[in-house]
Amino acid sequence: MKDLLQPILNGILLGGLYAVIAIGLSTIMGIVKVMNFAHGDLMILSSYLSLVFVSWLGLSPFWSFFVIVPLAYFIGYFYQRRLINRVLGKEMDPPLIVAFGVGIILQNLLLLIFTPDARTLMTGLGLKTISLTSDLKIPVNYLLDFVIGLGVIFFLYIFFQRTYLGRAIRASSDDEIAARLMGVNTKTVYAHAMGISNMTAAVAGILVGMTFTFYPHTGSEYLFIAFGVAIIAGLGSMKGTFVAGIILAVAQLFGGHFLGPGYQMVSGHIILLIVLLVKPKGIFGTV
Amino acid sequence: MNKFIQRSKWPFLGFLVLVLATVPVWGSKYVVFFCLLFCVYLAMSEMWNLLTGFSGLFSLGQPAFIGLSGYTVAVATHHFGLSAWTSLFLAGLFSVLFALFMSLFIFRVRGIYYGIITLIFPESMLLLCSNWEYLRYAQGMFIKPQPPISVTAIYYVAFVIGVGAVVSVYLILRSNLGLGLMAMRDNEEVAKTMGVETFRFKVYCFLVSALVTGLAGAIYYIFVVFIQPGEAFSISWSVKFIFITIIGGIGTIEGPIVGALIYVFLSQYLAEYFSVSMIMLGAVAIAVILLTPKGIVGTFQEKIGFRILSPHRE
Amino acid sequence: MSTGLALKVAGIDVHYKDFQALWNVSLETQEGEITSVIGANGSGKSTLLSTVSGILAPTAGTIEFFGERIDGLPPHETVARGLSMVPEGRRIFPRLTVYENLMMGSYSPRSRTVRDQALDKILELFPVLKARSDQMGNTLSGGEQQMLAIGRALMSDPKLVLCDEISLGLAPVIIKGIYKELKRINEQGITIVLVEQDITRSLKAARYAYILLQGKVVLEGKPSSLNEEAIKKAYFGV
Repeated sequence: MKDLLQPILNGILLGGLYAVIAIGLSTIMGIVKVMNFAHGDLMILSSYLSLVFVSWLGLSPFWSFFVIVPLAYFIGYFYQRRLINRVLGKEMDPPLIVAFGVGIILQNLLLLIFTPDARTLMTGLGLKTISLTSDLKIPVNYLLDFVIGLGVIFFLYIFFQRTYLGRAIRASSDDEIAARLMGVNTKTVYAHAMGISNMTAAVAGILVGMTFTFYPHTGSEYLFIAFGVAIIAGLGSMKGTFVAGIILAVAQLFGGHFLGPGYQMVSGHIILLIVLLVKPKGIFGTV
Repeated sequence: MNKFIQRSKWPFLGFLVLVLATVPVWGSKYVVFFCLLFCVYLAMSEMWNLLTGFSGLFSLGQPAFIGLSGYTVAVATHHFGLSAWTSLFLAGLFSVLFALFMSLFIFRVRGIYYGIITLIFPESMLLLCSNWEYLRYAQGMFIKPQPPISVTAIYYVAFVIGVGAVVSVYLILRSNLGLGLMAMRDNEEVAKTMGVETFRFKVYCFLVSALVTGLAGAIYYIFVVFIQPGEAFSISWSVKFIFITIIGGIGTIEGPIVGALIYVFLSQYLAEYFSVSMIMLGAVAIAVILLTPKGIVGTFQEKIGFRILSPHRE
Repeated sequence: MSTGLALKVAGIDVHYKDFQALWNVSLETQEGEITSVIGANGSGKSTLLSTVSGILAPTAGTIEFFGERIDGLPPHETVARGLSMVPEGRRIFPRLTVYENLMMGSYSPRSRTVRDQALDKILELFPVLKARSDQMGNTLSGGEQQMLAIGRALMSDPKLVLCDEISLGLAPVIIKGIYKELKRINEQGITIVLVEQDITRSLKAARYAYILLQGKVVLEGKPSSLNEEAIKKAYFGV
């Protein structure tokens, strides 16, 4: 039992990161009602952009938060406005296909430009830990992910509750026509929402880059994590997303612990499928 | 002019089928190879089209059946020494069984989730098979059926599967099942109130697609003789189907025929550049969706006002 | 006191894909008045309102709002000019609170400046909303939702409010209360276009009425001058 404590602790910390990865996807799914297949790849794009930024200027990766995250807003805005908005309509498939296509293009472009080699953003925090007890250690970078993750979710929550744009986004996801009747230009609002979603993805991407190694296919892996968290949480609950992030992370780490490291990802998938069978609307779902 | 086209449509189709059926007789090895691939991709894309274009099921899970069938054949011939024909049968069987299993999960959620949930299956299978000693991990397996099967025989199986796929889609859509499917695609809630058993219909379609895709996958791997998990369960299969169906014309029966032809032709030039080909296929598919969403056949049908293989009763 | 036209709809046709919903419909509303549009289900009433608000665009004809052309403008532009709608079925935001629903009513920049006064006035008009201010929209009763929808429409400081079937699904005593409030709102100078299936009430409230049948205006006039027979004929198409 004792040797399970470390995976549990790691899982809790990692859950914060997973929640950030998921929140952008969950938000945009609730609003635009399209599964953004490119979410993971956009996230890892930010990791690679950060890598370029860091190697170009020789700065610490922490600076990339200030440059890459705003850049991500514009990328997301443009992506929604020019590509997805154009095909939003009665048919469900075109936006899915466009999102899927963008994801594939991004992944393969990254493959061509950066090769499949594993990369990382060096922060110097890599192996540092804080010891709680003789057996229990807190990896500093996981802790950082958790704290920043919590911060992002908190700011998002305030944004959605207190600002006009945030309310407009929530209103549009509740009833698009009624929102338009209130004077909301839903097409623009969708683009802003995607910009915000991509910003959270960028934060997640930079954190992932600082905590783990990444390569072009990592985007797909994180898409599943994001989706897994979103399903376990159920759409529409921010607190739920945070808790679900922890659940998924712990499940993954347990799977890796008992079955071997190659089974970490698959354990996450299995948990997702189980939740689907038992509670398809998610544990906290309000929809 | 229209009348002439209309009356000659069946003879025209018959002629095409005849040409395709006799390729091993008059064609070079290369042409046979080309037509074989055409039949395989045609079958798989017709199935994808049936699911996405007609039933509203955006499936990224087809590679699960392709890989599963391929490995069934590999294991059957390698570990059990079964013949190619038996392996083919088993591949089809297992594909359908697996599709039943998948149905437990994928139909529990709303439409926007179909894509990603179906995707989980091939992705998981990729990971599992890469870690499995029995399947030689990620290194792959050779497929050498005993007794050996001739290229001509392989070709005819592929031919039957390809033509069979088109025929079965045609028959399904013309049946009551098809009517229900198209109603569902347009408005599922309304279709339910009219008595369309949406769940059962979706499952039927999914099973049929699994069977045909599985068989096509099996014959493909018998032909190429070598299978690896990374390629067998790869998402690149789905990219190809999407490209073929979109450029041909989603929601039309003739679309995948045109699309598969274009794809097999293009793939010779793209053979060595995997990433570039993926980018190109993706970019073209997106461009077509944005600019001419009906694809080649769809736009053509709009202009001349009727279809060669129509899913609608006249 | 100008007696200008608040709304002038001139000969509009509206299509849904291949299906024509409105045929050469014309309608006028004087500023400060209540105008009724009556018709059975499927007569095109809601289509008419959707076209005026900008959700749909007419394929022929024009729409003028206080002298300015608005046909073809999207809803956020018509709202910005002082048009507001209480939609059919209320369409309040179920997962937003009463307060947030009202806030959404003042989304357009024009109304944000007067937001606080508007909010006070509406909470005075509908005290039950004040009591339920922090509750989610979907926890309210039918009548309360209707009041919320009306209050929300008023938050944008409108010059004209389009009311789509506000009595649908409500008990008679509640409807009475709502119509009383409607009269109060109108007395403050806001023009109202009332679309209803309930003939009696809307005729009582309005200064002028139009009757639609299958997408065409078949009868119009001052309620006092319209006799029952003619109305029945027009409504049912006998």
